[in-house]
Amino acid sequence: MSPNPTPPAPHLFEASHVTAVMPQQGGDHTVFHDLSFHVDTGEVVDITGPSGAGKSTLLTAFARLNAHTTGTFALDGKDSDSFTPQQWRVRVSYLPQTSTLIGDTVADVIRLPWTLAVRQGERKQEPADMLADEHIRQLLDAMGCADIQLDRNPRDLSGGQAARVSLARTILTKPRVLLADEVDAGLDEENADKVADLLKRAAEQGAGVVRIRHRAPDGRANRIMVLSGGELSEQQAASAAQGEGRRA
Amino acid sequence: MTDHSYFTIDNLGLLIAAGMVVIAAGISVLMKLGVAKSLVWSMVRSFVQLLIMGIVLEYVIRQQNVWLVVGLIAIMLIAAVQITMSRAKGVPKGLVPIVLLSLVVTMLIMISIVAELIVRPHPWYAPQVVIPLTGMMLGNTVSALALAMSRFFESMRERYEEVGTLLALGATPWEAARPSVMSSIRLGMLPTIANLASAGIVTIPGMMSGQIIAGGNPLDAARYQFVILTSFSALTLLAGAIILALVYKRCFISYDRYLMPQPAQPLSVRDMLNLRKAVHSGAGNGPAHGTGTGARP
Repeated sequence: MSPNPTPPAPHLFEASHVTAVMPQQGGDHTVFHDLSFHVDTGEVVDITGPSGAGKSTLLTAFARLNAHTTGTFALDGKDSDSFTPQQWRVRVSYLPQTSTLIGDTVADVIRLPWTLAVRQGERKQEPADMLADEHIRQLLDAMGCADIQLDRNPRDLSGGQAARVSLARTILTKPRVLLADEVDAGLDEENADKVADLLKRAAEQGAGVVRIRHRAPDGRANRIMVLSGGELSEQQAASAAQGEGRRA
Repeated sequence: MTDHSYFTIDNLGLLIAAGMVVIAAGISVLMKLGVAKSLVWSMVRSFVQLLIMGIVLEYVIRQQNVWLVVGLIAIMLIAAVQITMSRAKGVPKGLVPIVLLSLVVTMLIMISIVAELIVRPHPWYAPQVVIPLTGMMLGNTVSALALAMSRFFESMRERYEEVGTLLALGATPWEAARPSVMSSIRLGMLPTIANLASAGIVTIPGMMSGQIIAGGNPLDAARYQFVILTSFSALTLLAGAIILALVYKRCFISYDRYLMPQPAQPLSVRDMLNLRKAVHSGAGNGPAHGTGTGARP
């Protein structure tokens, strides 16, 4: 099923020949070999599978962050090698499982991506208030994060708030592909639901969203892929079809 | 050199000093502190090293030959690189050229500014000025560099989540490494800055003491010491900045991916001797005694 001979139009994001070989004492360990994957605009694709199957490895490989993986990756049919690493990661953005919030206030945390050189040019084109507190406030409110004050110290946030701030930081950079690595792990149902809504909305606004999940299907995924024993396969239609009837 | 009021130390003085160490070692044995052997051994080593340095310096100063000065400085540089690498913990292999480069650059700047612009000796290479200055500067820089490099790689290991997050948001390797670079340069500078601030109140720095004991005018000695302390702190910062600007990329591989290099096994003289033994006899048993680590003139 996975080798798709000459697709009519390029997918938003496409990965092929993805291989991960982890160095270990007494020989290297191949986690998976020659996997293929794609996601389209507006899609939410879940990746599930047992722990240690290499789900995070796969996602970091997509963002080309992982030192132990190889593969061919393309965005709109354009090979990742034609991007600088920074340009690629701005477009194909990996969101780690643990929220690492860098800065003294929530506002600083959210602003961080715009302090990086890769967005310095972009910043001039953005409205002048892109980094203004009021603007960040509006965006957070629109994302259902009204309960998070901008002047809070990120260390004082609850786990659910920290996860949402981390997610908001990435979503506000408007990546084309958002790779969310189990961002709802350790959250209660209510917060997990909020996080899922944020991701779904990002997809509706044109992003391709890939989620690693351990929880039961929440009806937001268009497809569910299972990574197990080094193989990546689509889960049977029974549960995925239910995903179409989106009920929150 | 020995023309005016100058109190030399005779052999009896040396014996008394050594006796003090022996007594201290005796106390250590009685109290089972476990430092007696290394104490005595270090004493012997320092005596031999200082004696050799004294003989070499006397010869070089008498000869007043440019090439001898250059040669001696080259040897000091190599020793400084070796000591830096052996003191820096958890740093990867292959940093020797970078350390050497940064030491050479700072040393050249030091000689051209401190020696030639401030002290202005005749001839310009006057060994009694250039060599002690170089030695003091290297000593200062070596500890700062070792500290800064150890801290840098340690910090980059600790910050792996932060580095990962920054890279994922589109940071360049430099942007991801910058906090570690800053904190390690700062740490490397701390002893130097502390020296600068405490000089004259808490301590009479070694160079000033030496000049005064040798019969120099204390005010002249103070001027000398001031020049040394201030210029050395500037040079230490420079050396640290050069090293880290060249070294931070070692934490990244192609496509700006973060991968910490394996720390190099510290290779001491003892290791090399053991290695040779193992190769030749096939039985590398027990640590060799009394070979010390990295003894160089």
